[in-house]
This record gives sequence, structure tokens and C-alpha cells, in this order.
Amino acid sequence: MTSASPALQQQVTLVELVDRVLNKGVSLTGDITLSVAGVDLVYVGLRLLLASASTLDRLDAE
Amino acid sequence: MTATEALYVYGVVPEATHPGLFADVEGIAGGRSVRLVEAKGVAAIVSPVPLGDFEEEALEQHLRDPAWLEEKVRAHDRVLAAAVGRVTVLPLRFGSIYRGEDHVRTMLAERDELADDLVRLDGLEELGVKALLDTSVLRGRLESARGADVAAGSGRAYMLRKGFERELDAEVRTFAATCADESHARLAAASVAARANPTQAPEVAGGDMILNGAYLVRFDAEEKLRSAVAELAARYGDDGVSYELTGPWPPYNFVEEGET
Repeated sequence: MTSASPALQQQVTLVELVDRVLNKGVSLTGDITLSVAGVDLVYVGLRLLLASASTLDRLDAE
Repeated sequence: MTATEALYVYGVVPEATHPGLFADVEGIAGGRSVRLVEAKGVAAIVSPVPLGDFEEEALEQHLRDPAWLEEKVRAHDRVLAAAVGRVTVLPLRFGSIYRGEDHVRTMLAERDELADDLVRLDGLEELGVKALLDTSVLRGRLESARGADVAAGSGRAYMLRKGFERELDAEVRTFAATCADESHARLAAASVAARANPTQAPEVAGGDMILNGAYLVRFDAEEKLRSAVAELAARYGDDGVSYELTGPWPPYNFVEEGET
């Protein structure tokens, strides 16, 4: 249905993954907790996607 | 298990789940070491991770490394994907780590709602559907439907053209909202539960997203949602709308918000 490049397809899949694995799901207080470390996973996910998008830009420019 | 290891927990499944489901899948720290830890009728999907990489400080550092994080996020999903559609899976959010099996068992025993959620979501999985609108296709269609009533050339024609463009913009916005609502309603009718999430920015979505939906379906009823997507693609395809279906996923969008 879409004619996106393989690189963009992979990016789209990563978006789906980040949207679920980092932003959703049952959150439990583990022995080692990311919240204690002051880590906001939604923010971490956003940073990952931006890093990935800028990698794509570089690939496109090449 | 040694003092330098901890257990990463991916998700929770019914106690009777066959551990063989995970025999061939690589864990988040590598190796075929995914197993189940049971308590109170439920089982946690776990694998050992080195504390050197997963203790607070090290983990916080790793989270800043996009390559490391992407690999681990994919691993988390890969392990759960081995079970989706075969047994009911409650997906945990990334990064639940315990210092041993006893600690995992204590957690399972304390969280009665895990067993309740497994019953509520019994035999169900999630599918994702996103709709993107190619506005140039839609504008072209709307323009030709209006006919060539705006001749080019004069200053007056330029002013008419500007007004025409504004009307087209408004029509595109109205179409996008209506199409998103109708698509979501059609997909919701083909599923057990539905959720429309906020749409993603064009930079990450790869276009103008008008719908970002998650749909809960029975393991054996995926086809019903797939045909609903095909039907929508046939109805709105000429208007520049394309649909992308992903999954099956564990029901990330349908588990209760846990207390933290």
C-alpha cells in the first residue's frame, strides 16, 4: 500500500516498537527501577526516534 | 544465577504456559536463556542479564546510546512475539529488573491484578492500524471536482486562486477528520476493544498521519480486522489515504496502568 523505502519502513517499525515497548505496558516497580534513576522512558523513546530519523537523513543525503 | 546477574522480566503469561515456546528465542542479553518463573497461577517470562549493564547507573548511560537501546527494545519485543497468538501475554514496560527468582515470585504473588488481567485478555492480541493521507492526491481530486473555474493570468485571478486554496485547505481538514472517525469506527466494529492514540509527527510517521489506532482481537479473528482494513483502503484509496497494519502485538494498549 505504501511505497516507502526499506530504511523508512524500518523507521516506521521502530516507531511502533518505541510507542509500545517504552511508552506502554504494565509498569512494575522492579528491584532496579528506571524511575528511581530519574529516567522518563517516553523521553528516552523520543530521543531514540530522533537519533534514528537523523541517521535516515544522513543516509538520504548520501 | 550469580550475584553479578539479575533477571529481566518481559511479560506475564498463564502458569500452564509451555516454556518450550521460548526455546529458540534470543534473550535481551543474548543466548537462548529465556525461561518462566511461576507463582500464584501466573508465570513471568525472564532471562538473566549482567548487572554490569543493567544496574541503575549503567542502565541510565546505556539508555543514551541509540544503538544499544534500539537493540534492546527489539529484543524485548522479539521475546514476547514468540508467545503472542499462542498464549495470552501481558506485556511489561521496558526495564523491569529483579535481583533473583525469589524477588520475581514475591512480585507475582503481590500483584493479584496480573491474574485478573490474564482472564480479561484471555485469547486476545493487539493489531495496530495507521492511516496516512497524501494531501496532494486529495487536493488534486478536490480541484478537478470543482472544475477549472479559476483561470490563470490576471491579478483578479490571483486573488481568486488564493481564496480557492484556502477553501481547499479547509476541505482537506474536514475530510481528514471525517475519514479518521469513520475508519476508527469501522475497525472498532471488527474488534473487541479499540483505542485511537494521538497521531505521530510527520518526521517519524513518514507522512501526514490521520489515525493511529490499536485494536484488540481474538487470536483467530485477525482476518476480520484485515478485511476491514482492505475495505477502508478500497473506499478511501483514491482520496490519497493508505493504511498500514502492524502486529500481532501483545496487548500493550489494553493493559491497566500499573502503580509505580
